[in-house]
Amino acid sequence: MADEPAISLQGLEKNFRVSQREPGLWPAIRALFRREWVEVAAVAELSFEIQRGERVGFLGPNGAGKTTTLKLLAGLLYPSGGRARVLGFDPADRRPEFLRRIALVMGQKRQLSWDLPSLDTFELNRVVFDVPRELYERRLAEMTELLDLGEVVRKPVRTLSLGERMKCELVAALLHAPEVLFLDEPTIGMDVSMQLAIREFIREYHRRHGATLVLTSHYMEDVAALCERILVIDEGRLCFDGSIGELVRRIRPLRRVAIRVTQRLDEGQERALEQLGQLALVGPPRLALDVDPERVPEVVARLLAVPGARDLEVQDAPLEEVMRELFARRASVREGATDTGDGA
Amino acid sequence: MSGVQLRKLGALWRLGVAEATAYRTSLLVWVLATTMPLISLVLWRALARGGPIGDYDQAGFDSYFIAAFVVRQLSVSWVVWDLDGQIRTGALSALLMRPVHPVAHHVMINLAALPLRTALAAPVAIAVLLVTGGMSITTNPVALALAIPALVLAWCLNFLTQLAIGCLAFWLTKAAALYDVWIGAYVVLAGYLVPTSLFPAGLAEVARVLPFHAALGFPVELLIGRLSSAQALAGIGLQLVWLVVIGGIAALAWRRGLRAYGAFGA
Repeated sequence: MADEPAISLQGLEKNFRVSQREPGLWPAIRALFRREWVEVAAVAELSFEIQRGERVGFLGPNGAGKTTTLKLLAGLLYPSGGRARVLGFDPADRRPEFLRRIALVMGQKRQLSWDLPSLDTFELNRVVFDVPRELYERRLAEMTELLDLGEVVRKPVRTLSLGERMKCELVAALLHAPEVLFLDEPTIGMDVSMQLAIREFIREYHRRHGATLVLTSHYMEDVAALCERILVIDEGRLCFDGSIGELVRRIRPLRRVAIRVTQRLDEGQERALEQLGQLALVGPPRLALDVDPERVPEVVARLLAVPGARDLEVQDAPLEEVMRELFARRASVREGATDTGDGA
Repeated sequence: MSGVQLRKLGALWRLGVAEATAYRTSLLVWVLATTMPLISLVLWRALARGGPIGDYDQAGFDSYFIAAFVVRQLSVSWVVWDLDGQIRTGALSALLMRPVHPVAHHVMINLAALPLRTALAAPVAIAVLLVTGGMSITTNPVALALAIPALVLAWCLNFLTQLAIGCLAFWLTKAAALYDVWIGAYVVLAGYLVPTSLFPAGLAEVARVLPFHAALGFPVELLIGRLSSAQALAGIGLQLVWLVVIGGIAALAWRRGLRAYGAFGA
């Protein structure tokens, strides 16, 4: 039992039936009598495993199937095919023993009663999740302290700011100390400092409880800060499974070595550098060279020799850029495929 | 039911009371919006000035419509609107993630508002009682004993009907609008505007076996002493039959609906 993965999926599928019609009055009237339905595969034959205590991020463009996968794992949706196991349970059964050990936090949804103070919902959750009062008091005190909530929990939820509300949502979801925590866009719409606070809090929760984290986010920073493992999902399929470093190196195999310079190099020097890699920035203020990882030491030495060079940095390409490239690449592959299909 | 489950229901009840208190103004508006029987009272009382209509004289109408107002207040629920909204916006997900059945949640939230609602409706009922000179209540011990179960069953029928219609939101975008159709039939057939015994022969018999009457007209007639013991028992029997039928439909709609959940905003 202990060796069993926290989460395992085998060929999981979810199709939605969606009605569709052309725009305009006549198609609207026709749709009253004859609806046209299309089956949309939101998740297609997804298989992977997540071990206990792992921190995993789902990445993918909008509509890729990340949130659907999360909802399937939390038991909100019934799969159309395949099998999912979470903590040894079939999530779709939504057994009370299962629900007591997991939690789902959605940035765009709320469980807190809108016109009541958050404390009322916390109190409800204490009872329905069977949390002993002492433990409840301790966890509540701990979390309000960590999140700097103070009196916020006593104010009606409708009067809270987005960030305060999400903090309270997190408390409501974590009072029963779930072993598996699903987070869907937990920092959506928040300013940078609030994102940071929430990220820190989630990390601290993981540290204290060793919980399994599964996260989707549009903010690459969230994923980079919280997740050691990335699953890239696109069109409901898994197209990458590995660490952030691996993902970056697969998309952008070169590393960037950069320095701060006060003036542009002369043509001869630039040409010499181009022998070592691709010149990405020619400055001032920055001079950057994208190079093969094996040549990094050599390039570092050469750049440090540039007169007036300061602040040397060796970095992977920024994650946002990597993702943009990844999805652009996949989109062009897709379009290419349709083109040939049409032509044939 | 185990102690743990009772404690959960208690916690939901407390949340419901807190919500009802927060929404006290809307509750009052709702009480005022369901005073139709009192308007009927004024109308029928004026019509009966010249002499009884059917088996109702002025005092008979007074009793009937005051009782109709009270039964309506006590048997009301609003789960159809809540459920419709929760399914369409995906807010139902939050309820589904708790280890307590979402229907139990709605039952308790609806019940918890009843005491406050009754307190808000009481002054209206008392004022009408004072103006009209009172109402007669059954003295038949059997009918009196059955009044409580009849009221409970009336509440259950209203709740389950709303639940069944609310579940249509799993497939339709505007399920709550369908409830207006039901309410349209209810207003006419439940004895809300006119006691069903005043309907033309033939229609009266049909109306009195339908679920609308079981949810309102029957408990009202029982309360004001218009039914024999045998009729009272038969009425409870009929309520139970509708309870099984509508409850069955609601259970089926809920179970199948959950499988379809998620096509919208879930």
